[in-house]
Amino acid sequence: MEQDGRRVFIMTCIGGVAAVTAGAVAYPVISYLAPRQGKDNSAAVIIPEKDVPPDGAKFFQYHGKAAVVVRKKDGSVTALSAVCTHLGCIVQWEAQKGAFVCPCHGGQFSTEGKVLGGPPPKPLELLKVTVANGVITVG
Amino acid sequence: MTLVRKLYDWVEVRLGISQVIEKEMTGYLLPRTINNWYSLGSVLLFAFSLQVVSGILLLIYYVPDADKAFKSVSVIMNDIPFGWLIRLCHAVGSNLMVATLFLHMFSVLFMGSYKKPRELQWVSGFTLLNLVMGISLTGYLLPWSQLSFWATTVATNSVGAIPVVGEYLVEFVRGGKLVGPPTLGRFFAVHVAVLPLVIAGLIGAHLFFLKRTGISAPPTSNDLPGPTCQGSVYHYEKHQGGIPFFPNFFLHDMTSISIYFACLLGVVFFSPYLFFTPDSFVPANAFQTPAHIKPEWYFLANYQILKIFPSEIIGLTVQGAGMTFIALLPFVDRGDGRYPLKRPLFMVCALGGIALFIALSIWGHLS
Repeated sequence: MEQDGRRVFIMTCIGGVAAVTAGAVAYPVISYLAPRQGKDNSAAVIIPEKDVPPDGAKFFQYHGKAAVVVRKKDGSVTALSAVCTHLGCIVQWEAQKGAFVCPCHGGQFSTEGKVLGGPPPKPLELLKVTVANGVITVG
Repeated sequence: MTLVRKLYDWVEVRLGISQVIEKEMTGYLLPRTINNWYSLGSVLLFAFSLQVVSGILLLIYYVPDADKAFKSVSVIMNDIPFGWLIRLCHAVGSNLMVATLFLHMFSVLFMGSYKKPRELQWVSGFTLLNLVMGISLTGYLLPWSQLSFWATTVATNSVGAIPVVGEYLVEFVRGGKLVGPPTLGRFFAVHVAVLPLVIAGLIGAHLFFLKRTGISAPPTSNDLPGPTCQGSVYHYEKHQGGIPFFPNFFLHDMTSISIYFACLLGVVFFSPYLFFTPDSFVPANAFQTPAHIKPEWYFLANYQILKIFPSEIIGLTVQGAGMTFIALLPFVDRGDGRYPLKRPLFMVCALGGIALFIALSIWGHLS
């Protein structure tokens, strides 16, 4: 009985040491492997107005994700997330159709992000955009 | 019945694990007189595993491109969380592994364990020592620092002393006339793919030889004269009445591994740049050779031999002859006795050889 107690005590001690060692090894390794925090990407993105011609679109990184600013025929500008809401592919701008088309499964979105066809369940996320003094500011 | 027990029984029915444990662990008997020197093999297995794991982790951020390699190593050291720890464990670990390999070979040498029937263990072990030195040399170039670049230039230049094909061989090794981006590509492939696989395979062969011959008992002054292995029939050296590998010798192994790990972390934390020189922190510059460029400590003797002899080919021949002699030692030293104090000629040669190696290394360091 006393021997069983000792055995349990020793096994508990060994288990404790093993757990602490595993933690001491795992912590640096997991920290090393964890995705790196990029530079501050919460700031607004500034794009010169001349970079977005009428009926044209410009893709850029916004908060770590792909986004797009598009100028419609009437000259107004919208900014949207370029990530398809179906399976996360990046939509392409098709000027002739005046719509965004996802190359993966053919989802189609209007310049306002609304679903025009295909499997996407939700519209593209609209981003805040302002135009002033020849500069487009997203965010 | 607990879940663990059920799982164990499930595996047991299919694989007969208890039989394997009995045969390889608790029923694997070792001589009662076994000492801690015998655990250096396990330490080396641990050291090699640590190199593999830390090397894989480094591969995640290291970029094998001459324009980006130095920068990527700087990023690992300065920006990635615990990158410095992984990289230093790898760099310091390689040096400690070579040092442990030397100790392992010295213990085998002085206990006469290389003798019949263990010639293959010695030859495979000596080949492993050379491969580990090779993997260290190829890894040395990867940070693409001034030290890496010029140490590799000097090391690869030595090959040029080989008559007739020397110049071609240098160009072949470097992938060009000078050390440059093609050299980095070649050394990277050899360092991360070719040599680790060859070393792992040879470790497997080394352990297979060990298992087939049985472990040697430490020699004592009371050993009866005569060979331990007689005749021309295969014989396994059993140790009836010996201690089991598990748990008895396993604890010795774990103690030695802990001491090794403590030494490694001691250097990493308290003297992290012990094996680095100021040139290790300057990016490679093909137009500026730093003064007093030196190889790693375990190549200093070779480096000094090349400097002593007026002709490089003589220096290489002397080294080649020395290496061949050590590799073929079990076939040269065929006497029966293993107790070192009863082998005066051997002791003089072995101690003299080690003293010469140390003296040449110190001379190389100071010259």
